[in-house]
Amino acid sequence: MDVRFSREGNSLVVMMEGELDHHTASRVRERIDNKFLMEPVKNLILDLSRVTFMDSAGIGLILGRMNRVTLIGGKMLIRKPKPEIQRILRMSRIEELIELDA
Amino acid sequence: MQPINKMRTEFLSKSANESFARVVAASFAAQADPSIEVVADIRTAVSEAVTNAIIHGYGEEEGTVVLTCVLYPDFVEITVEDFGKGIEDVEKAKTPLFTTRPDLERSGMGFTVMETFMDSLEIESRVGQGTRIRMTKELKSR
Ligand SMILES: Nc1ncnc2c1ncn2[C@@H]1O[C@H](COP(=O)(O)OP(=O)(O)OP(=O)(O)O)[C@@H](O)[C@H]1O
Ligand SMILES: [Mg+2]
Repeated sequence: MDVRFSREGNSLVVMMEGELDHHTASRVRERIDNKFLMEPVKNLILDLSRVTFMDSAGIGLILGRMNRVTLIGGKMLIRKPKPEIQRILRMSRIEELIELDA
Repeated sequence: MQPINKMRTEFLSKSANESFARVVAASFAAQADPSIEVVADIRTAVSEAVTNAIIHGYGEEEGTVVLTCVLYPDFVEITVEDFGKGIEDVEKAKTPLFTTRPDLERSGMGFTVMETFMDSLEIESRVGQGTRIRMTKELKSR
């Protein structure tokens, strides 16, 4: 899985590309957390438009990041998940907890 | 019922094999010409079962995971087996959000995903001996 960062105001945008599973999640998690600490940002935007596969490891990763962002009073947004990924987000109730920009 | 086709593969409990297992099961099912949604569901369910075998069944140890796919006229049966530590309370393990590894940022949704994405799910487990997950998915042709 490939991860690229950009900034939109006080939000860190994470463009994730490829397959998000247990194997890829640990490195992605580490990269996002490091970047989020280093940048002068408050909010986190996860762009999932190029994520081609995600299982419950992705749910864990998203909820884990949400906890960190909420802790500092920031907000989290999920951007453009593909239909298959929307299904798993809906199932895990992430949709009720995190704003989704389809 | 007579199976049309069958395959069995075994691999080490390394996380790199999670994507391998998904691809193998999806390609096997593809011979029945299922819809993209059905293939996506199979990929996700296999990923959950194999990941569980790797992180919960074996953990720090290394062991063998066996993936078996059997094709019947209108469904596929997928079995994922490990010979690791087993599950003490299967009913509890199936509860949504239940996880024994919150430290690993697991969400406790794996069995719920398998149950939702597949048509049937059976869990057979013995503490100290291992776990066998059997799932089926109907293959409606396009
Ligand atoms: N193959 C296995 N061997 C031993 N224990 C298992 C196995 N599969 C599942 N379990 C147990 O069942 C629990 C629930 O599994 P489930 O897949 O639903 O959630 P999880 O793996 O903890 O989290 P998630 O799948 O959401 O990342 C696990 O926490 C673990 O204790
Ligand atoms: Mg799991």
